[in-house]
Amino acid sequence: MSVLELVANGLIFSSILVLGSIGLSLIYSIANFANFAHGDTMTVGAYSALVTFGAVGGLGGSVLGLPYGFFVALLVGAAMAAVVAVVTEKVIYESLDIGSIGLLITSIGIAFIYRSVIQIGFGADFTRFDIGALRPIEWLVPYGIRVTEHDVAIVISAAILVGGLHVLLQYTDLGRKMRAMADNPDLARISGIRTKRITLVTWVIGAGLAGAGGVFLGLFNQLAPRMGFNLLLLIFAAVILGGIGSIYGAMLGGFLIGMISQLTPVLEMVGIPIGIEYSNAIAFVIMVVVLLVRPTGIAGEAT
Amino acid sequence: MSYREDAVDYWSDLTRAEQGVSGSIALFAAVLLVGLVTGGLNPTYFLFLVGLAGMYALMSLGLNSQWGFSGLINFSVAAFFGIGAYGAALMTSDSSPVLGGFDPILGLVVALSVAAVMAVLIGVPTLRLRADYLAIASLGLAEVVRLLVLNERQWTNGSGGVRGIPRFFENWPILSTFPEAMPVIEIAVPRIGFSIPGLFGIIPGLDVVILSGSLIVLDSPFYQMLLNISLATIFVGASYLVLRRAHRSPWGRVLRTIRSDEDLARALGKNTYSFKMQSFVLGSVIMALAGVFYAHLNLFVSPGDLNPITTFYVWVAVILGGSGSNRGALFGGIVVVTIREGTRFLNEFGWIPFDTAPLRLLMIGFLIVLVMKFRPQGILPPQRELIWPDAIAGSETKPERHTNQQTGGDTNE
Repeated sequence: MSVLELVANGLIFSSILVLGSIGLSLIYSIANFANFAHGDTMTVGAYSALVTFGAVGGLGGSVLGLPYGFFVALLVGAAMAAVVAVVTEKVIYESLDIGSIGLLITSIGIAFIYRSVIQIGFGADFTRFDIGALRPIEWLVPYGIRVTEHDVAIVISAAILVGGLHVLLQYTDLGRKMRAMADNPDLARISGIRTKRITLVTWVIGAGLAGAGGVFLGLFNQLAPRMGFNLLLLIFAAVILGGIGSIYGAMLGGFLIGMISQLTPVLEMVGIPIGIEYSNAIAFVIMVVVLLVRPTGIAGEAT
Repeated sequence: MSYREDAVDYWSDLTRAEQGVSGSIALFAAVLLVGLVTGGLNPTYFLFLVGLAGMYALMSLGLNSQWGFSGLINFSVAAFFGIGAYGAALMTSDSSPVLGGFDPILGLVVALSVAAVMAVLIGVPTLRLRADYLAIASLGLAEVVRLLVLNERQWTNGSGGVRGIPRFFENWPILSTFPEAMPVIEIAVPRIGFSIPGLFGIIPGLDVVILSGSLIVLDSPFYQMLLNISLATIFVGASYLVLRRAHRSPWGRVLRTIRSDEDLARALGKNTYSFKMQSFVLGSVIMALAGVFYAHLNLFVSPGDLNPITTFYVWVAVILGGSGSNRGALFGGIVVVTIREGTRFLNEFGWIPFDTAPLRLLMIGFLIVLVMKFRPQGILPPQRELIWPDAIAGSETKPERHTNQQTGGDTNE
């Protein structure tokens, strides 16, 4: 495998991680707890898309090797993840008054409930979207890069979603309110912002992006009930590296952690005997080091 | 005062939760007894379950001394359990890739020492962290430990696991041959149940009716398991006594002060980092003890034993039982094993149209949510205490009775 191909893979994996990280970071700063159910929210999105795609089929034409029906499924997956997260927030989290640690522990229970329901419905085995695997893009192969059009579609879609979020945050009234709340909820509240409504919008955006990330993860690898939970710690690593509460930090952290985990084979190329099986471990160690040295992360304000 | 009045007094002195738990335990024991007597539950398997319950109780006690006493959110329970299990396995097994063939006692000592060292190594960076960061960091480091065990084949035999672990009492003079030396006892129990008079020939004139399929055989695996249970009892009993003593000592009071208000403890001149480290190491060693017991019970360890799900099972046990309460941890351990093993039988019901393995996860999930929603202090929260740390920071948990006045330091921030 060439380094260029590793970079390309890193870019694809990063796109998925970024989508997960933004949601986790948003919810961490606004709802003020580490949501361990976030990874399984991604799984919910992926399986909702699987069902939708099975129902609507290809719908005629295709873009980048992906049928139109898949994009419909992507939207439904994101929407389902958002709906499930909002219902959970309304039914469970909102009524609890047990502090951030209690909410953290509760979210583990929620994660188990999501995962087991999916496993009851779909079984524990791997599944795939019913889309034929593509051959690598021909003109990139001479450069040693073997990526498919699907991979390109993942990166472009993630870029569109992240770009859309950027526009929302910077140029709309809602975005300003969200940033104000992420910065200081109390201050936002006395400025007349309806914080409850903003919290709900945050859940919708965060979980929706996570759902989309889950769909792409299913396309990139496979679908399995454990897929989201397995990714959760990497997402935490990304969020902590970027700085909790900073949306742009989460993007940067997701990008870096995705790159690092896919570029692990480079270590062996330069003679450091750490194999690819430790790519996650490296990310976790980085996370702990960041927590120790700079707990506010790269983009966080030093307080 | 008669014994009866004593008993009545004692009963009415308990809180409602304690009465409920005692009642359920009695009911549960009765169900188990029926299962055993009617031959529905194999006595050897039953003892195996008791051993598992003891193992979970040990881990819960260990976690309780970290989370319950000093409020450390340790999500690396499975890692310390695995270190204990692998430490014992690698020291004692004859097929061990390193060392091997040593006496189980030496394996025990080495495993616990390694766990203590690892606890210090993990604790040094993480114990200074904020509570929720500690949770994430410890979960990450536990994964690092699991990946090391899985991938360092030259030391751990990788995913193949370690076989050939001897039983704990193998080199002991009498106990090593005890299972074979004991006579095989066959107890024939009539299928109809308790109403049969003349059971075991105690009442003369009436014979036991022997029906096929309800023969209880107590043979050498049964006695082997009996030995394992006594080992578990020793481990759990010793840990329980040590922790109870620690809980009541000035040391334990400092820990509980740290949990309710770390700044207060620091203002009183306590080195809170050092106290937290001590409680972290103590708890981790007890978790490793559970691992040692598991290695000699199962006689096989594999990297799957370090799966993070074990950590969450133990968390459920501690939260359910009541954070900070040792008897709650024992109770929680039994409940968790009941859920874990009880759901295995569900597959025998044909009317459930799917694989029942996820039901276990579903029940654990619901249990966490329900406990956090309706009883965040757990079912058997600590009673009769001077310092009353909040079960969960910010929650309105009040002792039900037998506590002195609320102290000032633990109001909500």
